[in-house]
Amino acid sequence: MVMTLNQLSLKRNGKQVLENISGELAGGKIIALLGPNGAGKSTLIQSMARLLKCDGDIELKGQAIGCYSAEQLAQNLAYLPQHSQLQFPLEVEEVLSLATLPFALTKLQQRQQVKQVIQDWGIESLAHKDFRQLSGGEQQRCQIARTYLQLSNMKPPSAKTPDQNEKSGGLWLLDEPASSLDLEHQQQLQKVCRQAANEGHCVVIVLHDLNQALHLADDVWLLQEGKLKAQGNVTEVMTEELISEVFKVTARRIEDSGKYFFIYS
Amino acid sequence: MIKKLLVSPFGWLIGILLSLCICLGALLLGSLDAHSLLNSEIGHNILWNIRLPRVLLAFVIGASLSLAGVMIQSNVRNPLADPSLIGVSGGAALGAALMIVAADFIDIQVHYYIPVAAFIGGILATMAVLKLGRNDMPGGMALLILAGIAINVIAASLIGLLTYLATDSALRHITFWSLGSLASANYFWLTLCSIALLLVCIWLPRQHRKLDAILLGQAEANTMGVDVKRLQIQSIVFVALLAALAVSACGIIGFIGLVTPHIGRMLIGASHRYLLPLSFFLGGSLLVIADGVARTIIAPAELPIGIVTALLGAPVFIWLLIREGKRLQW
Repeated sequence: MVMTLNQLSLKRNGKQVLENISGELAGGKIIALLGPNGAGKSTLIQSMARLLKCDGDIELKGQAIGCYSAEQLAQNLAYLPQHSQLQFPLEVEEVLSLATLPFALTKLQQRQQVKQVIQDWGIESLAHKDFRQLSGGEQQRCQIARTYLQLSNMKPPSAKTPDQNEKSGGLWLLDEPASSLDLEHQQQLQKVCRQAANEGHCVVIVLHDLNQALHLADDVWLLQEGKLKAQGNVTEVMTEELISEVFKVTARRIEDSGKYFFIYS
Repeated sequence: MIKKLLVSPFGWLIGILLSLCICLGALLLGSLDAHSLLNSEIGHNILWNIRLPRVLLAFVIGASLSLAGVMIQSNVRNPLADPSLIGVSGGAALGAALMIVAADFIDIQVHYYIPVAAFIGGILATMAVLKLGRNDMPGGMALLILAGIAINVIAASLIGLLTYLATDSALRHITFWSLGSLASANYFWLTLCSIALLLVCIWLPRQHRKLDAILLGQAEANTMGVDVKRLQIQSIVFVALLAALAVSACGIIGFIGLVTPHIGRMLIGASHRYLLPLSFFLGGSLLVIADGVARTIIAPAELPIGIVTALLGAPVFIWLLIREGKRLQW
């Protein structure tokens, strides 16, 4: 198991933003966090990244998350925040190379990795631009690429021990990564998420597009007002009744060539 | 190109040579010509005991303030932050003003004690700011800056009260001190400031990637393996040390800490690997030049150096604001 949450609760300004959240994040899975605005999705993902202190226990690979040093933590999880704001003129390449910071790599390895990730993500033309001058979508892509580079440095579960319990790579926490991506890059993101999961990492992703969640996720955690309304396999959780109730819309789930889609009215 | 130079030994050689040239120029600049400086006893005295420590101190303090500026701006992720924001110059000014006013009532060698009082004031004020601004919330750094502003305001109002009580000569002294001057440079303060700068120069370059990560954001840095809080506290302690020593040795010198990091970033970007060495040389050289201007432009009298740096720095800063505004379409 990559991460285990046990009875997570958080109170902020007298308001219960997270209430008794428990669950397991297993390697090889993509878990979508869904819920209306203010349901606690970002708060939850921030708690997973140890950016917020809350009541309850979080275990990362069997050890309390508090025991990890900042460096060790970064060797096990990568986090993409919802908004990033850079005030200073850093180049895209410089931003990307920061992903190798927690790992003991030679300068040469760092350069090769950065070059590779730039190629993989098709951002060659942006590599030497000032990060602040990129469009919102371009910035988002670079940040996703940065966290992916960090993730890909995490020790993949050894192939020699195919024991399912040992299957625990890194944890990739993505807070609304698709919000400003165009269709092409949304699909690229989905592909990379699946690839990361296949390599044994666990991907936690906050999404607003329910259809995207339906196609991408293995499991879904449905949040409402800080509580876990439902948790489990994607087609079991994302039913017409639950989605309609939580999102206060009339949702219909239709099936087309073995795939489900939601339409709303 | 400049970037590669800056991290190569060759680039360092050029930086050192350029700085030496500037220092040498400043050394020879002044009322006596080079010939009489080297050949008469008075000339020797002026050269070795007055000008040399002064020029070197200018370089060390310029470099210190500039590095302190980089550290504070990067740590609070705010391009408008200045080393004085953590309360250190306000406290130092208050300490100095107290000593100047007290000198009218007690019979002491005030020149020796003003820097000491300033140093104590600066450190006390910084400690108060750290105490006030200490919290575990994500906005901790913003709170620290606000606490710094509050302490600076309190210090300023107390200085105002003191000037009300002060005699005319003390008043003049306070005003002159608060504009900064390197006139009282000596080897004692040069040694102290150099040791502090050396400590920072040993520690800081190793943090260059961590500082880059903080630029991206606290959450990002925290999840990229940087213990942000620890790095911030360490940085603040070093900033306080550098700024307190600088203020004590030569009064308040504005704009170097604010503007030189920006000039550096405009030249080579914000990556600390390059920015740190560049700021070191730029800050040092700029203050040496500013001091050269300050002591020759109305010779035999002297301008307070704070006026020169502000007059040079403010237009640069305004130009920078306009340029940045255009580039980022604010």
